[in-house]
Amino acid sequence: MTTRELVVPPRPGNRIRNSLIIAAFVAFTVATCIPAIGGIELDVASIARNWRNGADKMLQLMQPNFEFLPRTWAPMLETLQMALVGAVGAAIVSIPLTLWAARPTNPNSFTRHVVRTIVNINRAVPDLVFATVLVAMVGVGALPGVITLFLFNIGIIVKLVSEAIDSADHGYMEAGRAAGGTQLKINRVTALPQSLPLFANQWLYSLELNVRISAILGIVGAGGIGRLLDERRAFYAYADVSIIILEILVVVILIEILSNLLRRRLV
Amino acid sequence: MTQTAPAPSQTQAPSPSAPPRPSKLWPTVFAIAAGAVVLVATAGLDIAWSELPELPGQVWHYLVLMFASPDWERLPRALFETWRSISMAWIGAILCVIVSIPLGMLAAKGVGPAWLRTGLRGIFAVLRAVPEVIVALVLLTVTGLTPFTGALALGIAGIGTQGKWVYETIESVQEGASEAVRAAGGSTAAVTRWALWPAAAPSLLSFALYRFEINIRTSAVLGLVGAGGIGSMLSNYTNYRQWDTVGMLLIVVVVATMIIDAISGRIRRRIMEGAKVRDLARSL
Repeated sequence: MTTRELVVPPRPGNRIRNSLIIAAFVAFTVATCIPAIGGIELDVASIARNWRNGADKMLQLMQPNFEFLPRTWAPMLETLQMALVGAVGAAIVSIPLTLWAARPTNPNSFTRHVVRTIVNINRAVPDLVFATVLVAMVGVGALPGVITLFLFNIGIIVKLVSEAIDSADHGYMEAGRAAGGTQLKINRVTALPQSLPLFANQWLYSLELNVRISAILGIVGAGGIGRLLDERRAFYAYADVSIIILEILVVVILIEILSNLLRRRLV
Repeated sequence: MTQTAPAPSQTQAPSPSAPPRPSKLWPTVFAIAAGAVVLVATAGLDIAWSELPELPGQVWHYLVLMFASPDWERLPRALFETWRSISMAWIGAILCVIVSIPLGMLAAKGVGPAWLRTGLRGIFAVLRAVPEVIVALVLLTVTGLTPFTGALALGIAGIGTQGKWVYETIESVQEGASEAVRAAGGSTAAVTRWALWPAAAPSLLSFALYRFEINIRTSAVLGLVGAGGIGSMLSNYTNYRQWDTVGMLLIVVVVATMIIDAISGRIRRRIMEGAKVRDLARSL
């Protein structure tokens, strides 16, 4: 018996392809750093020069003014109300839209693509841009905030849930079809109960996001605690700003805990 | 002892009676309570509900103003500002990923020591709650009202969420490879390099690109507070009530965002599915 020489197989991978990928990455990054074409100027020197300003401000923010707290209750309540109403409205509208946007629940490719296109366009508009335009349209207050949150949530829920329905197995729907149900009946009796946990998960997630977002919506005039935050910031009252941030932090964490508890029960 | 109750016969099938319905008392109570909270919240909002029927007409009026004949004259300027927003998002994403991957790995169970893990997770949680706009407002005093401030703010504000994704990904990596490295005498660093990193890298890269997509949206938000980019332009023309230009800008924002989403989404799918194919080839 002779010993065979051990041949190490060549390393997989394509050197040319990899260097092309790296080159593209570097080129893109360099292009984003050219101010002449709209890129940004990496002004690192200014950090070394002015870091004290930022440190001072951080120091001011570290000393929250707890006496300001009572004045924040009403705007915070408005923020929570906006978050809840926006999320509930979106939850109701998201059910038919999602079932329309998913392949198994809507075999008609034309209406499916119409709904998906509308949702994709909706998702491409940043939330604060919606708020800015809506404030200009319907005036300052809670209404543009609620509409913004509603539109924002619809985008998330419909996209994520319809994709989840698309990629799931659909034996149960076949059973419905075999029993002679119409598409509407099949959706109502099989697809909807089956995907309800997915929905519940996204509804709660969108409620969490809403609390976070509605905290800043006020900066453009859409109501809630953000308006107070922006006002105190304009007065350079950083002790008040800091207590507001702290309050947002506590509320966000509380909502997260609450929604995790609900999620464990529902899903 | 005599049998008082007839024993269930083994041969005869039990009558197909449905089991009793579970009690619906608590779900009902809960649903009513939740509904009441929603109603109270809706009623408590400072909105003139009687004017609501006029709303669609109003919105339609503005939509016509914006999109009936968008003003394409300022398109070059808009494209310039769009590239500025994209640059902010890209640099911000790179900063965020560079910081959050090592920190997130240290915060994963089994990599860093417990005290470091708790501390880092606390920092991530706090950063998640602070809006990007606030981070930008603090940074303004250091670097001024520049796009660089926007990029830094995106980079710092994103660490909270990105770090959380990193440690969750690392923790979801299967134990086998780490155990093998440890059994061969590898240190924690070796385990991270040779077991955790190869398994988690595709997901982490995918998350990095996803951070870029998120930043594209957020950079428009930072523009609203003056960090520059398409958001600043949009906010200015909205304040001037130049609706035809606002319409053009909205079209640019939507198209640019959708193109970037499509490209980035393709790359992400390639990264994740390429990884899957390679796994398959190895196991065969």
